[in-house]
Amino acid sequence: MSNWNALWKFGGILLLAYVIVRGFGTPLQPGLVEASPNRLAPGHAVLELTAVGQPFAQEGATPEGFTLVLRSGQDLIATQLTAVGPHGVSAAALIPDQVPSPALDAFLFTPESGTLFLGNAFFIEGAGIGPVPESFATTAPEDTAPQLGFSFPYQPNIIESIRNLLWHVPMWFAMFFVMGIGFVASLGQLRTGDARWDHRAEAAVRTGLVFGLLGLATGSLWARWTWGAWWVSDPQLNGALVTVLLYTGYLILRAAMGDDERVGRLAAVYNVFAFVMLVILLMVLPRYTESLHPGKDGNPGFNSYDLDNSLRAVFYPAVIGWGALCYWMYTLRLRMNRLEHRLLTK
Amino acid sequence: MQGGFHNAIRTAKTVAALEWRLEWRQGHQLASVGLFALSSVYVAFQAASRDVSPGAWTAMLWLVYLFSGFTAVGRLFDRERSSTRRYLQWTANPLGLMLGKLIHAILTTTALSAIVLCGFLLFLGWPGSDGHNVTLVILAAWLGGLSMTTTLVFVTAVASQIQTGGNTLGAILGLPLLLPQLILATRMTAGALQGTPWPMLSEIPLFLIALSAGTSVIACILFPYIWRA
Repeated sequence: MSNWNALWKFGGILLLAYVIVRGFGTPLQPGLVEASPNRLAPGHAVLELTAVGQPFAQEGATPEGFTLVLRSGQDLIATQLTAVGPHGVSAAALIPDQVPSPALDAFLFTPESGTLFLGNAFFIEGAGIGPVPESFATTAPEDTAPQLGFSFPYQPNIIESIRNLLWHVPMWFAMFFVMGIGFVASLGQLRTGDARWDHRAEAAVRTGLVFGLLGLATGSLWARWTWGAWWVSDPQLNGALVTVLLYTGYLILRAAMGDDERVGRLAAVYNVFAFVMLVILLMVLPRYTESLHPGKDGNPGFNSYDLDNSLRAVFYPAVIGWGALCYWMYTLRLRMNRLEHRLLTK
Repeated sequence: MQGGFHNAIRTAKTVAALEWRLEWRQGHQLASVGLFALSSVYVAFQAASRDVSPGAWTAMLWLVYLFSGFTAVGRLFDRERSSTRRYLQWTANPLGLMLGKLIHAILTTTALSAIVLCGFLLFLGWPGSDGHNVTLVILAAWLGGLSMTTTLVFVTAVASQIQTGGNTLGAILGLPLLLPQLILATRMTAGALQGTPWPMLSEIPLFLIALSAGTSVIACILFPYIWRA
C-alpha cells in the first residue's frame, strides 16, 4: 500500500516535469502572421510576409521549391519569390487592375512545412471588379505533406499561447475533480453526521479553491493575449468567477461559525448547494448561451486542438499530473485537519 | 410518504398564512421595506440626469430591487432564532416550513417589484421612447425577482443558524449566488427597453424559471438538515 502511495505521487511529479519540458520545449509549427504592405495598387508590387514558429527554410536559402500564390475570390494570382528566410519571404508581384474581390489571401507552399495560409493578407485599392485576366492567373502547385516532427499546431491569434492549454484546462479539471470529492464527502456528512466526512469536505474545498484561482489567473492571461482584455463579460467567465466566490463563501461561513458544533452539518448543506450551482454555472448555462470561450456555442472549431496528436501526447499527461498533484495537496490538508481535530478534542 | 407530503402542504399553507397575517399586524416591517425601496428610487431619480439611458435605468432598477430584496428576505427567519424555534422544531414539518417561507417570500417580492417598478415609472418614466416592450420589462422584473428570492431564502436559512452577525453573512453569501440571476435579468430588462425582438430574448425567461425551480428544489431537499441541526 505504501509502495502504491509513493508511486502515484512520484508518477504525478514525473508527468508534470515531462509536461513542463515538453510544453515549453516543443517548437510551434510555422504560420504566417503578417503581410506588408497591407494596401496594394494595380501594377508592380513588392510583398513581404512574416512568419512565426519553427523556421521553414535555412538562412539565405534559395526560393526553389517555394511558391507564393494570392487568392482573390476563387481566382489565383501568380507571384515571383525573390528571397526566402527562416521566418519570412519576399516576393514581386504584378497586381491586376481587375479582381473578383479586393481582399487577397496568401498561400505559401513550402517543400517541408506544408502550405501556410494567411487570410485577408492584402487589400487592393483602385482595381475594378471582374475575373483576374488570363496573363496574371496561375494554378496552385501540389500540396506537400508536412515533415515537421514533434511540434504544436499553429492557430491564428493563439500562436505560442497554445501552451497554456497544458495549464489552464487541467487546472479546472483538477478543481472539478476535488470539488467532486468535497460534494461526496458533504453528502456523507449529511447521511452519517460523522466529523471525518467534514474534514474531507473542508480539505477538498480549500484545495479546489487554490486550483480555481490558478485557473482564473491562467485564463485571464490567455484572455489578455487572445481577446485583448484581462476580463470580458462572458457566460463561462461569469460562471467561473461566481464559482470561486461561492466557495470563498463556504470558507467564510465556516470561519463565521467558529467552533459551533453545527459547523459540519451547515457547511455540508452549503457545499452541496454550491456544487449543484457549480455544475449549472460552468457546465450547463454556458453551453446554451453565446460565448467567446472555446468548446462553447460561439467558438466550436477550437476543439480541433484536442484532436492534434502532438498536443494530445502532452495534454493527457498534464491532466493526470495536475490531478495527482491536486489530490496530493488534498491528502496533506486532510491530514492537517485530522491532526487539528485530534489536538482540539483530546 | 403520502401522509408526509400532505402534512407538508398543510404546514406550508399554515406558515404562509401566518407569516402574511403577522406582516399585516406588525405593519412597520412591510412598511419599512416599502419605504427603503421608494427612498432608494428617489435617490436614483435625484442622482440621474433628466434623460436616462436604458442601460442606466436597468442598472438603477436592479440595484434598488436587489437591496430591497435583501432587506425583505433577510429577516425571513428572524422569528425562528428565538424560543419559537424550539416549539416549531417539535411541531412543524421542515419541508412544509420551507415551502411556506418560499411562498411568503415570493409574494413579498412580487409586491416589492410592483412598488419599485411603479416608483421608477413615477419618477423616471420609461427610458428610450420607441420600441420598448412594457410587458417584457414587467416579466423580467418579476422573474428576476423570483429567482433572486428563491436563492435568498436558502442563503438566509443557512445564515440564520449563526448566532452573531447572521444578517451580514446572509448578504455576503448571497451576493455571489445572485450574480447569474442578475446578469440574466438585467440583460432581459435592457433588451426589452431597447426593443430587442422577443425571439432573441425568449430563452432568458426559461433560464430564470429553471434557476428558480432548481434552487427551490435544492433548498427544500437541504432545509431539513439545517433545521434538525
